[in-house]
This record gives sequence, structure tokens and C-alpha cells, in this order.
Amino acid sequence: MAEDRIPEIPLFDRQRSLRGYRINKMAMGLGKPENRDAFRADESAYIDRFGLTAEEKKAVMTRDWREMVRLGGNVFFILKISAIDPARMTEIGAHQAGMDHDAFLRERLGKK
Amino acid sequence: MAKLIGGLGTSHVPSIAAAIDKGLRGTPDWKPFFDGYIPGQDWVREHKPDVAVVIFNDHGNTFFLDKVPTFAVGCAEEYKPVDEGWGPRPIPPFRGAVDFSWHFVDTLVANRFDPMICQEIEVDHGLQVPMELFWGRPAEWPVKVVPIFVNVIQYPIPLPSRCYEMGRVLRQAIESYDSDERFVVLGTGGLSHQLQGSRAGFVNPTADRAFLRDIANDPDKLATMSREQYVEMFGSEGAELMMWLVMRGAMDRAVEVRHTHYFVPASMTGAGMIVLENKASSNEAAVA
Repeated sequence: MAEDRIPEIPLFDRQRSLRGYRINKMAMGLGKPENRDAFRADESAYIDRFGLTAEEKKAVMTRDWREMVRLGGNVFFILKISAIDPARMTEIGAHQAGMDHDAFLRERLGKK
Repeated sequence: MAKLIGGLGTSHVPSIAAAIDKGLRGTPDWKPFFDGYIPGQDWVREHKPDVAVVIFNDHGNTFFLDKVPTFAVGCAEEYKPVDEGWGPRPIPPFRGAVDFSWHFVDTLVANRFDPMICQEIEVDHGLQVPMELFWGRPAEWPVKVVPIFVNVIQYPIPLPSRCYEMGRVLRQAIESYDSDERFVVLGTGGLSHQLQGSRAGFVNPTADRAFLRDIANDPDKLATMSREQYVEMFGSEGAELMMWLVMRGAMDRAVEVRHTHYFVPASMTGAGMIVLENKASSNEAAVA
């Protein structure tokens, strides 16, 4: 993937949208209860329905948020995974910033 | 003819909805945020609008990437809350202002805006949260809604100036609508936040506070900023703040600021509210 036009900011442009289509479509599916059940029952089989590459599948199954975004995942879609396997938005953010959660809250968000 | 009685701006962070659902409103983390909206709630109670035009973006809940309308207008009888992954939220469906929606679409196209027309569509937290922040959690919503969906996720997103121009057309539609209904326009989203990339967690309270001043006093400046400037100043997701310009474009150049509120962080976001009235109509209200 080419470098971001603005450093540290992965704008969801054409390239990312094309790159991330499979991951995002898989995640979009989790808006339906029957798909959430399928994901819970056999995550690997559910993911395979959407033709993810091995690299993409691994990023999803290891809940590697930074990697999912690097592969074109968009937070608004992949966030649905956290409805099944709970993760707070701030934890997902901290992971992308490469920071410990407490330090992230303190240093980025100004929490005391 | 119908009348525009005010312009409201507010964040629509989904954590706000989760905080309401979990009964966290009074907790130390959330109380100062929610308390700041009380004057806004009082304002809508006193001014009794009949119709709320809500400008917001869908967050990968109603629209997928297979079809991405830059602007879409709801023309439905009813808008149900969409399942975002956690199941539908326990809030009543929103009643549509169908006749006005079609009139608005007619007016848009006559003015060279060509929106997608949606007769069956569900709405996510982008519309739900602003409604709850101003009207609480009634058994039935006391206003009809007109949802305007703006694509601020898939690039190319529209120019801020285009949002501002759409607001002017919205005003024209309201004032040419044969009805005695009272309208409010809600611009939603922001303020500063970035949820993705190594700059995740970026908030910019200084820029947010300046935005809350400028949206009232210098909207032309905000409308002429580039998308990249929005992204740099408010974060990649905070760029959605440009949707407030639709609301602002519907108002007069000279407005009276009735209320503002700012709080940071709500989840990972600078959060805020503004209540604007046109100078002329606020004088009228004062006389009445």
C-alpha cells in the first residue's frame, strides 16, 4: 500500500476501500444476528465465506486492529467484531497508537 | 409557509447512546457531559419544533461500500433504529415528514443537487444520539424527522463548501413549503477525533472551541477550508464536523448563540453542542 497522503492518517480512499473490501464486507455482515451466531459458532468458517486472504483472516482472528486497518479495514465496519468479542473503542485506539491503554487515555485523551 | 426556528449542532458519539442504555448518565465520567445539554433540551421544550431535519452520516450500518451515496435524503413514513451489531436499541422509531422530504428533494434537484432518494431506510446512532440528546427518551418522538445522510467515510467525500451550499437550499425548501410547521435543523458529528492509524486518540480542544465560535460568527471561513484541513485540525473522523455547515447554511448570516457546551473526551472524542437562532427571529421571540 502506498504511503498515506497525510502522515499517521489512513484516509479511506479508493485504494483502501478496494484493498479492504473483503474484511469490511465480512464485518458488515455482523450487523445481522444470524451472522453473529455463525461467527460465534465457527469464526473461521464464517470468515471463509467472504474469501479473505490468509493474512486478512489472521488479522481478524488475532484481533489485530492495527493490522486490520493496514489491510484496508475501516473502523466503522470492523468495530462490529467488538460486539461479539468485547473491546472498548479506546482499547482499539490504544492498539493502533501502539500504546498501553492507561497511557493512551492519559496522554492522548487527557484523562486524569 | 413553514418556518425555520433554530439551528442546533451536536456530537453523535455512539458511546453516548451506550452510556444512556447502561444508565451511566449520572456517573462522574458522564454527568458533566449530559448536564451541558440541559439548556438545549429546555430550548426545544420551549420552542416546540414540529420537524427536525437531521444531517448526519451512516457509519457502515445502513450503507455498505457497494453503494455509497454522497448525499441521500430519507423520504420514508418511518425510520427504525438499525442493528449496529449489538441488536436494535430500545428507542421508538422516528416518524418521517414524508411530504416535506419530497419537497426538499424537488428543491435540491432544481438547485443542481442530485441526492439519492430513500423510501425504506434505517438510521444509526448518527441520527439517534442527537435526537436523544435534545429530546431525551420519550415514549414517542414529539417531532417528525427528515434524515439527510452525508458520505464522510469513503473518499471522495464532499467539499465543506458544498455542505454549506446545501444548507441554503434547505432553507429555501423550508420557506417555500406550504405549511405552518416549525422546523429545526440539526448539524451533527465531531468534534475532533481520530479512531484509526497511529494518530488514533488525537483530540484538539483548542480547535474545537474555535469551531464552536466560528460556526456562529465566521461560517464562511469554515466553509472555505479544505477537506485536508478538516482532517488535520479535527482528525480523520472529526472531519465529519463539516456536516454542521449544512445547518449553518440554512441559517441567516447573523445568528444569536443561545447555548454552547463543550466536553472532552466523550469516549475518544471532543464533544459539543450549540443552539443558534436567527437574529431577526430571536428578537421576535423576545417581543412575543
